[in-house]
Amino acid sequence: MFNLKSLKRDTNRWSWYTLFLVGFVTLPLFALFIRTFSGPGESWSHLMDTVLVGYAINSLLLVLGTSFFSLLLGISSAWAVSRYRFPFKKTLEWLLIVPLTLPSYIMAYAYAGIFDYGGAFSVFAKALGLGYDKVDILNLPGLIFILSISLYPYVYVASRAVFLYQSSRLIEASSLLGAKESKTLFQVVLPMARPAIFGGLLLVVMEVLNDYGAAKYYGVSTLTTGIFRAWFALEEPNTAVFLSIILLLMVFTFVVLERWQRGNRSFQIATKSDIRLQPIHPSKRKGVFLFVIASTPVFLGFLLPLFQLLKWLGITWYKTSSSDYIRIALQSMGIALLSAVLTVLVVLMVIYFPKWNRLKILKGSTSLATLGYAIPGAILAIGVMLPTLQIDRWLLKLSQSVNGSDFGTIFLLNGTIIALVYAYIIRFLAVGFKPLKGSQLKLGESLSESSKLLGKSTLKTFFKIDAPLLKTGILSALLLVFVDIMKELPLTLILKPYDVNTLAVKAYEYASDELIMESALPSLTIIIAGLLPILFLNKLLLQDSRSTKEKNRRTIH
Amino acid sequence: MVKSFNSEEGNVIDGIDLKVQQGEVVSLLGESGSGKTTLARLIAGLEVPNSGEIILDGQTVANASTLVPPQNRMVGMVFQDYALFPHMTVLENVSYGISNNEGKENRAKEVLILVGLQDFGHRYPHQLSGGQQQRVALARALAPKPKVLLLDEPFSNLDASLKRELRSELFQIIQKSNVTALFLTHDTKDAMAVSDTIVVLQNGSVVQSGSAKELYDIPMNVYIAALFGPIVRLSAEDLDCFNYSADESKTYAIRQNHFKVNKKEFSHSTKVTVEESTYLGSSFLNSAKLPNKKKIEFVSLEKMQDTVLIGFETGTLMVF
Repeated sequence: MFNLKSLKRDTNRWSWYTLFLVGFVTLPLFALFIRTFSGPGESWSHLMDTVLVGYAINSLLLVLGTSFFSLLLGISSAWAVSRYRFPFKKTLEWLLIVPLTLPSYIMAYAYAGIFDYGGAFSVFAKALGLGYDKVDILNLPGLIFILSISLYPYVYVASRAVFLYQSSRLIEASSLLGAKESKTLFQVVLPMARPAIFGGLLLVVMEVLNDYGAAKYYGVSTLTTGIFRAWFALEEPNTAVFLSIILLLMVFTFVVLERWQRGNRSFQIATKSDIRLQPIHPSKRKGVFLFVIASTPVFLGFLLPLFQLLKWLGITWYKTSSSDYIRIALQSMGIALLSAVLTVLVVLMVIYFPKWNRLKILKGSTSLATLGYAIPGAILAIGVMLPTLQIDRWLLKLSQSVNGSDFGTIFLLNGTIIALVYAYIIRFLAVGFKPLKGSQLKLGESLSESSKLLGKSTLKTFFKIDAPLLKTGILSALLLVFVDIMKELPLTLILKPYDVNTLAVKAYEYASDELIMESALPSLTIIIAGLLPILFLNKLLLQDSRSTKEKNRRTIH
Repeated sequence: MVKSFNSEEGNVIDGIDLKVQQGEVVSLLGESGSGKTTLARLIAGLEVPNSGEIILDGQTVANASTLVPPQNRMVGMVFQDYALFPHMTVLENVSYGISNNEGKENRAKEVLILVGLQDFGHRYPHQLSGGQQQRVALARALAPKPKVLLLDEPFSNLDASLKRELRSELFQIIQKSNVTALFLTHDTKDAMAVSDTIVVLQNGSVVQSGSAKELYDIPMNVYIAALFGPIVRLSAEDLDCFNYSADESKTYAIRQNHFKVNKKEFSHSTKVTVEESTYLGSSFLNSAKLPNKKKIEFVSLEKMQDTVLIGFETGTLMVF
């Protein structure tokens, strides 16, 4: 079937651009793999004999523990709000997502305060007559708690969607057959919702393996903190690369497991419905119980830590609200905005270039967009560091041989904003890809095909037809990526230029310098920045679904 | 021409050779999966053929070494879902493909008059009924004066009652504009109503092509015979009951409405036991048993019961 003539015929400029894009996205991974051939660093065998197994076990325990509690919190709250009517349900339904605005490292700082001497917990314990002064949560179980309450929303969102829309007919059928609610949940809904819920759980796992700030502060040595140690303390890039490979293998094991469990999921689509499940009225006592189930995650994952941060802010406000803070905040938002815009541009290219190209082998390269999110930030940072350093060396040599002059050690990429933005783009490609690909799929192919048949070029079709109709998707993608970049810590720590600071890094620095109260201001700024777009996006998405419903209604008549 | 999407699944288009005359309206008739949509998309340039050649108006637009992109082919297409641009008005939709800048508005208005929507230019697609949307889609496709017009199942989104009205309207417009048209459908009645030539596709190949009458009267095989109306297959043993000596190696079939009831003069007739007679409005559909217990169905004008004599004229028996 391989035919040179048709290969030449079907290769267009988009094929080349797609190839370039593939290189752009996979370069850090390639750099890592190539680097493994130079062997591990000096301390590798020592690490192997001493701490490596401990790192791996800690990472694994974190993943398992956090998965268990995220499932518990996420599924129970999703079932409560999608199946029953109880006081404040509507508000809770929305608030249950909000803990996502608190990055896990900020959650970790807040809870360190809550459980410290004189913190909220000891006040509470005293009021109950219990004698606790302080509970030590700076350990592995504590970290599992922190990660669970900050990451359960991924499970909540996935479960709620299935409960409300995909399994509503089955739930009704099960009730009509006389099954009790618990039977419906465990025998019908959960087995059917498993693929979707595990999809949400995979995001939890990736975030756990990505986390650096919380684990560092709680003194839990994981593979991720090990990479940092190898890079910064041991100054052995090769050892960091080897640790990265082990961590990557772990990540991809989970990715493969998730793919495998999803298997044949066609039975879900068959029951998908636009009609929302009608909630049932529980008894008063049960209503209170359900309220507790749905409000506990919100209280633990948002209100309590928020209260702690506000308390600290009151104490440290006069110290931290300086011009320095404003400069960092602006810098942070500037970088996030710039990177978000570029990320969305690359997302559009990743969606459209392979589509416009006619070579079948390149068509699948769209899926590369999701690669970056699977790679923990620290690993990606190293993967970006290696090739940019190399390119800088070449450029330096080149300029020396051309000009004969010496620029010293000025690097064009490494340690500059370019390397940082590049890493952000790859890391958050998947975040922007999801809403945009969704909107693009909803749009269908026939509109752009019509435009082409009416004589318009590929690019003209994109700007006149696709782009205006994808406005909502583009905006959503932009906001989601912006928020994620504002929160990002591990990658930023490794790649940020010396003279640049972000709010996330500032909060981390305060916390590492035993100035945890001072971290309140940058932390709260990140939370607010995360809240505002989510409020806005909620409205935007609601509008979108309303207008498509309108459209559907009209075409039926 | 040959096209496959996945080499393991075989060819979707498996050696089709088709010629369409200028100004002709041709129906591509086939079930879903027969390859008709793929064939249309290949002509439009939306798919790439594995081998073979497509020539439009003397110009080779696709072969092993050349591939003219869709925007340069001058092929018009009316999509199944109409694919009207939702953010543009009717007039903007229709003007979209007209390249000549000065004549743009005149031409757009001209086509809107042709489809009878001259007063709807400022409306948005979602403010139109399904039938109106379809006419806008047709106007938009006709506006740049395409060499070929492709219509992909244009009636599949419409009610049955609306469909008949629109069918004749649509094809009057096409006839008036004198464009070569390829009409894709799975509905034999649609194909018979509108086209000069019907091409029957099955599994990516042309089974038979010709006028509606040719295909109805002289179908090439049982599949095509059944496509143009319900048939009853008869084995040699069944035909024995009718006093007809059949060739064992051949396949025989007859249309349900070609059985005649209580006509003594037919030499090929037999007594059957009627089991059920269903009222269909203008006729009755009867389910009955031949003397050899084989079940058959036939159409009659009156309600049948018990035992009746049915027969057929030799000319109406189809032999394959």
